[in-house]
Amino acid sequence: MKLYDYELSGNCYKIRLMLSILRVGYETQTIDFYPGAEHKSDWFLEINPLGQLPVIEDEGRVLRDAQAILTYLAVKHDNSSQWYPASEPARLGEVAQWLAFADGITGTASAARLHDGLFYDLDVEAARKGAHRLFRILDEHLWFAEQQGQDWICSGDHPTIADIACFPYVALSEEGGISRQDYPAIRRWMDRVKRIRGFVGMSGVFPASPAADGSAQTAA
Amino acid sequence: MTIDLSQWHPIASSSDLPLRHVYQAQLHGREFAVWRADDQYVNVWENRCLHRGVRLSVGLNDGKELKCLYHGWRYSNRSAGCTYIPAHPADAPARTICNRTYPGVEEKGLVWSAVDPAGDFELPEVLKGCDPLVLRPIPLNAAPGLALSRLADLKLEGGTSRQIASTGSYSHLAFDGLDLPELVLFVQPVDAHRCVLRGVLKAVPADPAGTLRQFNTALNRLRTLIEAAAAEAPAPEPIAVDFRPIDEELASMPEISRSGPKAELRVTVARKWETSEGVAAFRLEPLSGALPTFQPGAHIDVHLPNGMARQYSITNGPGEGGHYTIAVKREPDSRGGSECLHNAVQTGDVLAISAPRNNFPLRRDAVKVTLVAGGIGITPMLAMARALDAQGIAFELHYFAQSKAHLSFPELLNELGDSVVTHLGLNPAETSAKLNEILADYGFARHLYICGPGPMLEATRDVAAKQGWPDEAVHFEYFKNTQEIDDSSTFEVALARSAMTLQVPAGKTILEVLQENGIEAPSSCEQGACGTCLATVIEGEPDHQDVYLTPTEKAAGDKIITCVSRSKSNRLVLDI
Repeated sequence: MKLYDYELSGNCYKIRLMLSILRVGYETQTIDFYPGAEHKSDWFLEINPLGQLPVIEDEGRVLRDAQAILTYLAVKHDNSSQWYPASEPARLGEVAQWLAFADGITGTASAARLHDGLFYDLDVEAARKGAHRLFRILDEHLWFAEQQGQDWICSGDHPTIADIACFPYVALSEEGGISRQDYPAIRRWMDRVKRIRGFVGMSGVFPASPAADGSAQTAA
Repeated sequence: MTIDLSQWHPIASSSDLPLRHVYQAQLHGREFAVWRADDQYVNVWENRCLHRGVRLSVGLNDGKELKCLYHGWRYSNRSAGCTYIPAHPADAPARTICNRTYPGVEEKGLVWSAVDPAGDFELPEVLKGCDPLVLRPIPLNAAPGLALSRLADLKLEGGTSRQIASTGSYSHLAFDGLDLPELVLFVQPVDAHRCVLRGVLKAVPADPAGTLRQFNTALNRLRTLIEAAAAEAPAPEPIAVDFRPIDEELASMPEISRSGPKAELRVTVARKWETSEGVAAFRLEPLSGALPTFQPGAHIDVHLPNGMARQYSITNGPGEGGHYTIAVKREPDSRGGSECLHNAVQTGDVLAISAPRNNFPLRRDAVKVTLVAGGIGITPMLAMARALDAQGIAFELHYFAQSKAHLSFPELLNELGDSVVTHLGLNPAETSAKLNEILADYGFARHLYICGPGPMLEATRDVAAKQGWPDEAVHFEYFKNTQEIDDSSTFEVALARSAMTLQVPAGKTILEVLQENGIEAPSSCEQGACGTCLATVIEGEPDHQDVYLTPTEKAAGDKIITCVSRSKSNRLVLDI
């Protein structure tokens, strides 16, 4: 399997994180996203006419869109069907709902980061405001989940691809000037994600300390 | 609204502080890193690493210490003192490197703090005696004063809210027509234009989960109202926070410390017990306040009722800041220190001790650490083993003792599991053979620490040298210097910084001559074992008679232990 990859992209990181957790080997082809804008080059537009990362090539197929790739990888490589609970309608509905929410986070928190870090010309105040609106919703959701003894975004005892889809641009939000001080339940959930076995970081996303029971990475 | 920095406010819910997490709080513009240690102590620190100013709220809580994410500086639970600086692995950080702390009190499901408290925390009268349910906190972008003035607008469907009382920090509300407990709604002043609503129900309602939802909805609506009102006026500037300037002590050249052993702390013997055959353990607790930061390998001077001062290693694990625990072996032939501690000192007694001093620092830039303890030499090794265990660095603790009954602190050894290997009742030849086994596999970034009786220590160092351990990988601490001191030489000592030249006659030490001439020179054991009186040699050839410096350090000739060592040259120039 090949991943068209850019190290600083949170959406590419989602895929690297999922592959690491699922212990799937892969090769990467680095795309010069910035400043080269290689993802808008003719040869890349043939692979993905949307001109976006990430894209994978697997067994002769080409698949684009981070959330779609997460779905594909989970169903293909997770025999326990925990990461993508295909046979549980209620939980699967929740997963789909929060995958769409993750796209919302990309449209706001990631946009603000592109403005601050890679000099994109966009309305950064609107992007930050939109991210805060989503973070308030996510924080409230996670706080009440904790009250019911639930650790993850979707119900059940196991994380799903919704956690992986939402995590990167939440974790990178401060690079777009979006503080997480007002979202303590999000901050605690981030620690839990970082303790999933197989977790890897990226530039700007660091590991958590070992859990109190001594294991470096507990869940999953 | 005038700001009263002495006022206590809730800054977090208890549930915001799970183990191994760092919470980010703010009060009157000051940011806090708030973390619960494994011993449940709640630390409230300025959210800024002393080194490069990085937020400690992104740091790592390992249950005992908080590690800054940037350069790995470690700060201890409770004292907030720095215990380790990775860029200086062989050095013990100065005790003055300590984060700014704020008070933290956990009561009624909330964590309370104040920027500059006038006195101890007192729970607001309105919460006394209640069995509370803490609501989900609601942060809002509005001035605290504005929020306070609008709290009575909280509406619950099906009833009316009635304000019983209102103060400068909370509103006390009841809900007529609803079967709900009274609500105390606090406003945490985060900054000029930001606050957090922290609600506490004075009793646990019949349906806690439903009630939490019900109030969350009502508080969200109140937030919308207040934020809309706040948006009508321009937001005030954030509170300008003055970071405390760095201490004069840290910013300038340190003073040479006062002469002789120190006795700046008073402690009480909270517990005295026989931890193994002939070994008494003492748990020393402060009479008031907190104890200074210690590091693994550190010792304290203990001043005894019989007028003697003796050095004992601290056995504590990392972050264990509420006490120092030491152990003393009964030595009938000794100079009287151990007899006095065993016989005269009892639980409840008050002792004078020095702050911890670390002349035996533990490097963490090791792939594996081998600790060798002989008898009572277990004490510093135990502190080291517990730090290595907590920090996930591979280690083995080899503990040589006469018998099982002679193993001190068995309960702590058990916690360390398979990393502890005991060797019981071996004679010198068997000990030597065992050491050859233990030290057979020297490799890159391995370090060896030894503490034990003189002959065993010598044997271990010999074996290590023969097995190819380089000098800089072998660290040791003697109990005492058993070498015969030759003090027959006479020479001149020039003190470069003090611009003085002194004569050292036969029968007197450099340290004594310094002290007689009004030079303040610290010392502790005064027999060439502990390293406290170390001075830098600028010129001249030292005549080393101590057991503190390694052969390499002695050969380099740029350091001297002034309480026993002398000069081979007629003149010695010291950096004092």
